[in-house]
Amino acid sequence: MTDKAAIGFWHWLVGAWMLLVIYGAFFYAPTAQGFVGESARIVFFHVPLAWVAVLAFCVNLWTSLRYLARRDPLDDARAAAAARLGLVFSVLATVTGSLFAKVMWGEFWNWDPRQISIVILLLVYAAYFALREAIADEERRGGLAAAYATLAFVTMPFLVFVVPRIYFSLHPDTLINVRGSIDMDSRMLQVLLAALVGFTGIFVWLYTLEVRLARVLIERQQREES
Amino acid sequence: MSASSLATEALAVFAKELRSELRSRVAVNSIGLFGLTTLVAVAYQIGPYQIHEQDRPHLLAAMLWIILFFAALSGLQRVFVKEEDAHTAKTLRLAARPLAVWAGKLLFNVALLAALQAFLVPLYGVLMGMQVRGVVPLIALLAAGCVAMALTATIVAAIIARASGSGTLFAILAVPLMLPLLVMLIAGTRVAMTSPRWSDVLPALQGVGALAGVTLVASVYLFPVVWHD
Repeated sequence: MTDKAAIGFWHWLVGAWMLLVIYGAFFYAPTAQGFVGESARIVFFHVPLAWVAVLAFCVNLWTSLRYLARRDPLDDARAAAAARLGLVFSVLATVTGSLFAKVMWGEFWNWDPRQISIVILLLVYAAYFALREAIADEERRGGLAAAYATLAFVTMPFLVFVVPRIYFSLHPDTLINVRGSIDMDSRMLQVLLAALVGFTGIFVWLYTLEVRLARVLIERQQREES
Repeated sequence: MSASSLATEALAVFAKELRSELRSRVAVNSIGLFGLTTLVAVAYQIGPYQIHEQDRPHLLAAMLWIILFFAALSGLQRVFVKEEDAHTAKTLRLAARPLAVWAGKLLFNVALLAALQAFLVPLYGVLMGMQVRGVVPLIALLAAGCVAMALTATIVAAIIARASGSGTLFAILAVPLMLPLLVMLIAGTRVAMTSPRWSDVLPALQGVGALAGVTLVASVYLFPVVWHD
């Protein structure tokens, strides 16, 4: 199978998978107890979006460390692509969380510790792009951005796990709660896991597109310089 | 080279920073005056009598750290920016090892923040009528906060010194990184105001200590890269 055919197959697979996830989220999973109306169904989109955002920031860290070790411009482009997608998925997780908050608690924004944490996370990675824009020299930009990305990543566990537990939070228990168990109906769990796989597939697709584009641009630049 | 020679180099960098600051007094003036002006504005507008009794610990703890935080932001980036502005960074790269430069600059920022706290916190306590039941836990929190803030500020200052528009960039880069720290420090200070027990302040202290620890380790690995980039 050629690269083009493999990519085409991948797109169709992810598309079909997501159709199944959407069907499962609205028709297969039962209605959750203790929530207003059908609002809990947003969990099948909100949680995977948040998961993919964290995954993207992990990829950003990995590729940043690789750039620091090898100084390959493609690693810098990979890191930037992962951070960009992480930002997009974080914004979507924030929006879906706000929709849930409006239905459950009457307001889009409740100054909940988890809402504040994700906004700080958005600010951290927005700052990463502000730094990139402020450095003209490509090699220096790559090195300093990679250093900042590493520094940003080490604060992420505090934002995601520590700060939300200091203050009272309206946010429902996370998927794996503090008791270390998953309190979820098995059919809901099946759909949620399928959604996690589907959204990860979308991330891989978008990330691959960005990296392919960056590779073409880098190769063209190298050709022009030589 | 041994650890003692590294410490000697770091102390030499620290002494250089101190001498340079005592000559110009730019960082001390900006941090001190910023802190004092903000404190006077807060004390004048809010004062000790405008806050309900039940809101006092939360509001006073939050305002104290906000004043300290923004005062610190106004001067901590200078340690590296001034080297680039004065074109002395290259000489410093030749004169001392990266870790010694980082440690010397960090020590200077810790000293600057400690001086700010020593000056501002008692004054804040008097002007705002801040009553603290756990004085020793609060001092421990202030010390941990001082080190943790200086750690983040020092490595971010090193990063932004090599970029254009470094003044504004420092705030953009440092504020989001320091916000989790600020949240934990405010929570801990609020508890220290109402309880004399160590066990109550310990979760916040552990959080601040852990964040300082990971920033320290990351800085030790990242600074040589940033310094020579």
